[in-house]
Amino acid sequence: MKHTKRFACILLVMMLVLTMFGCSSKANEETAEKAEETVTEKAEEADTGEAEEEKKDETEESDTAPDTSVTVTDMMGREVTLAAPAKRIVAVSAADCEIVYALGAGDLLVGRGEWCDYPQEVFNVPSVESGGNTNVEQILALDPDLIVMSSMAQDQEQVKQFEEAGVAVCVSNAANIEETYTSIEMFGKLLGKTEEADTLIKSMKDQFDAIMQNKIEGEKTIYFEVSPLEWGLWAAGGNTFMNEIAEMMGLKNIFADQEGWIEVSEEQVIERNPDYIVTITMYMGEGPKPEEEIMSRKGWENITAVKNAAIFNLPNNELSRPAPRLADGAKLLYDFIVGLDEVKEAA
Amino acid sequence: MESKRRDRFQTWIYLIIVTVTIAVFLLCLCLGSVNIPARDIFRVIWDAVNGLPSENSLARSVIVPVRLPRVLCVALTGAALALAGAAMQGLLRNTLADGSTLGVSSGASLGAVIAIAFGVSFPSLPFAGTMVMAIIFAMVSLLLILGLAYRLDNSLSTNTIILIGVIFSMFASSIMTIVITFASDHIKSITFWTMGSLQGSSFLNALILASALLICSVILISHSSELNAFAVSEENAGRIGVNIRRVKLTVLITVSVLIGVCVSIGGSIAFVGLVTPHMVRMITGPNHKKLLPVSMFSGAVFLMLADLIARTLLNPRELPIGVVTSIVGAFVFIFIYYRSRGGTRSNA
Amino acid sequence: MLEISSLIVSYGKRKVIDDLSFSVSEGQWFMIAGPNGAGKSTVLNAVSQAVPYLGSIRFKGREIKTMKAGERARHIGVLLQNNQIGYAFSVEDVVRLGRYAYRSWAFSKEKSDDESAIADALDATGMTYLRNKSVFTLSGGELQRCFLAQVFAQQPELLLLDEPTNHLDLVFQKQIFGLISEWLKVPGRAVISVVHDLSLARAYGTHALLIKDGRRAAIGTAEEVFTASNLENVYSMDVNGWMQSLLKQWE
Repeated sequence: MKHTKRFACILLVMMLVLTMFGCSSKANEETAEKAEETVTEKAEEADTGEAEEEKKDETEESDTAPDTSVTVTDMMGREVTLAAPAKRIVAVSAADCEIVYALGAGDLLVGRGEWCDYPQEVFNVPSVESGGNTNVEQILALDPDLIVMSSMAQDQEQVKQFEEAGVAVCVSNAANIEETYTSIEMFGKLLGKTEEADTLIKSMKDQFDAIMQNKIEGEKTIYFEVSPLEWGLWAAGGNTFMNEIAEMMGLKNIFADQEGWIEVSEEQVIERNPDYIVTITMYMGEGPKPEEEIMSRKGWENITAVKNAAIFNLPNNELSRPAPRLADGAKLLYDFIVGLDEVKEAA
Repeated sequence: MESKRRDRFQTWIYLIIVTVTIAVFLLCLCLGSVNIPARDIFRVIWDAVNGLPSENSLARSVIVPVRLPRVLCVALTGAALALAGAAMQGLLRNTLADGSTLGVSSGASLGAVIAIAFGVSFPSLPFAGTMVMAIIFAMVSLLLILGLAYRLDNSLSTNTIILIGVIFSMFASSIMTIVITFASDHIKSITFWTMGSLQGSSFLNALILASALLICSVILISHSSELNAFAVSEENAGRIGVNIRRVKLTVLITVSVLIGVCVSIGGSIAFVGLVTPHMVRMITGPNHKKLLPVSMFSGAVFLMLADLIARTLLNPRELPIGVVTSIVGAFVFIFIYYRSRGGTRSNA
Repeated sequence: MLEISSLIVSYGKRKVIDDLSFSVSEGQWFMIAGPNGAGKSTVLNAVSQAVPYLGSIRFKGREIKTMKAGERARHIGVLLQNNQIGYAFSVEDVVRLGRYAYRSWAFSKEKSDDESAIADALDATGMTYLRNKSVFTLSGGELQRCFLAQVFAQQPELLLLDEPTNHLDLVFQKQIFGLISEWLKVPGRAVISVVHDLSLARAYGTHALLIKDGRRAAIGTAEEVFTASNLENVYSMDVNGWMQSLLKQWE
């Protein structure tokens, strides 16, 4: 029996990981790791839709008081109405937490998902379990008036439970930069920070515009490495933030022909010969740095990026979350590449 | 007369399996994610051996430092796992025995996961942390399992060992879950690791595997008669003068070294150790003098082919090799299981 | 040949064998009999070092405890009642294992005396024609003969039998006991056997030991031991009368 059990385990791990990367290809968030359930959205929409309408009716009746209510369409197309901007919010995904802080609303955060790690202050906020382990009681104990979940981390039962307890549930699900703006806008409304949201979106757009107006010349190629060689090479393919940003800079992702995050063959990286390499491996403080490790790989000597030492380490998820730091990450990478080219020209 | 015919039969088996192994090795060298003509492949290997530069620099970069060490590592890992599996199945007289049933694989995995989670590494050898930890943990879990088994049952009977092995595996995976919970920032590395990857295999890895395999295979094959006795029955082994405890300890330690090294280099790869000896036994019979060496070669062939599928099926993507062995292995296993149920008893 | 003195075997706190002494000489077929749970098999297990014990067991003057497993196997052969085999070995494979104790080192070639010992053992047990058959295809009696051949190939001086024919048909019982008495005809050999069946014990045994509750109840030649009064004492019933009445039905 043992072998069948092992087989089942392996299949399970495999499916988990495949969903993990499969999902990331669409949403490309850290929260992808928590995703397990595929949610039957239609049934849920029908359910919650009614509830929202009732709420709306109530607010319309009370004309006398100034109307502080907020209504947003969340990223699954559900309408969510709050009587007033949220004062106590639980954000489950790392990207959402980053947005909350970027809007200057970090003090409203009463709970965060366990994977949230930016900015530093987020660690002072109580952590809640998420994904398949989402613990409704644990979250309700924090007495929030709003919960923001990523599309994959929610379960219809749980949404119902939260709404019955009087907590609004909102879904964020940005799969590209445009949708990231939408997500920020949504948070602006929910938190009563619309101006801040507009400023934030504008500054992001400005940063991206600056990059797009000075695209990198010469049909250069880039390779985004997600995990070091020892664990098998995982790379960002098409339909990822990294791919989108590469296009913005006028670079071609060598694995743009693939979807999402994928394990690729080392031979292919050598053959496709990228001009630049970005690694998001975090440096553990010992041994060679991720850039140095790539430089020292056998067989990689002839890759242009390795020859020119054009390897950039972006270890803090700047390019993998639908959050304001995407613009910062893009800027860092752009400056690195331009810097390299300037050095080359000077030489 | 009789024994001469048997010897000739034996020679034929070796000749065939060695030829097949070499053929598959060359095939795996020629096929890969990047298409390189066979002529260039042998040219660049020749150049590399003689320290000459190559015309085809892409072929040189792909074949010599990437594909060749990988195929070597895969072959050696397959051989080592199959050898370990065959020895365990004989020793414990249990066709379902394997490094994993004993809990040695889980122990080794736990060691490697701890190494990843807590960043155990050695200043001069950055990635050696997992290997050393995996081997240490394979040994420690073995000592623990044996210690417990001795406590329960002085003769180390099969049931006791497998029971404790299963319990230990569960225990080790729970600890692994706890470690993962506490080291959430390493969850990605750990997940990648548990799937097993032979990408990035180096000649150093191959050398380590080869030395471990060489030493362990000599030890195990020299214990063929003892393993035969155990495979007949442990009771019988004691009656004909086998030093039961010493042989058991020797075989179990040897097996755990093999598994520790394999797990640390390629992650946990299922089914090779379980399925290969089954298939081989159908050809050679249960005599370990033939079973062990033929299993080694067959394990190498099996894993090389599985790796070939993993490397090329979804080109340019890679499948984790453990996934391929599990899928192929499961079908092969079911096939063998039913065939042997229906067949061997009456016609073997 | 074998001297046992003050043998004590305990399972936990219970003494299964309590201060038992006896000796077996060359040429004897020494039967150990007694009711269930009297400790018959335990005596054999102590001799073959399968259970821990107190007291002394000497083979030709040497304490068996101090012999290495291989050395012991060259002098003492053991045949048990249940022989299950894990894999489809051939008869010859199993018999060949009997030569294990004689090989000098792991990779040494089988010597010619190994081959002749194996051939003799197969011949003596009438298994030669089955030598290449898988043990899975053998009948119960053939399997027991296969293990007997293994023991013969060991070329021991002392043979220990633990109810070797318990589960076999009468034909096979007779066959096995016949083979063993042939084997015993060679000088310098002895057999100790535990049997359930008192008529077999009486028919083949030269000497016998009756035990009850781990203690010696009677010892001597088979005729001396298997008397109506001794048996009645040990089995708490009229064994002689019962057997007589059983046999009468055949007349």
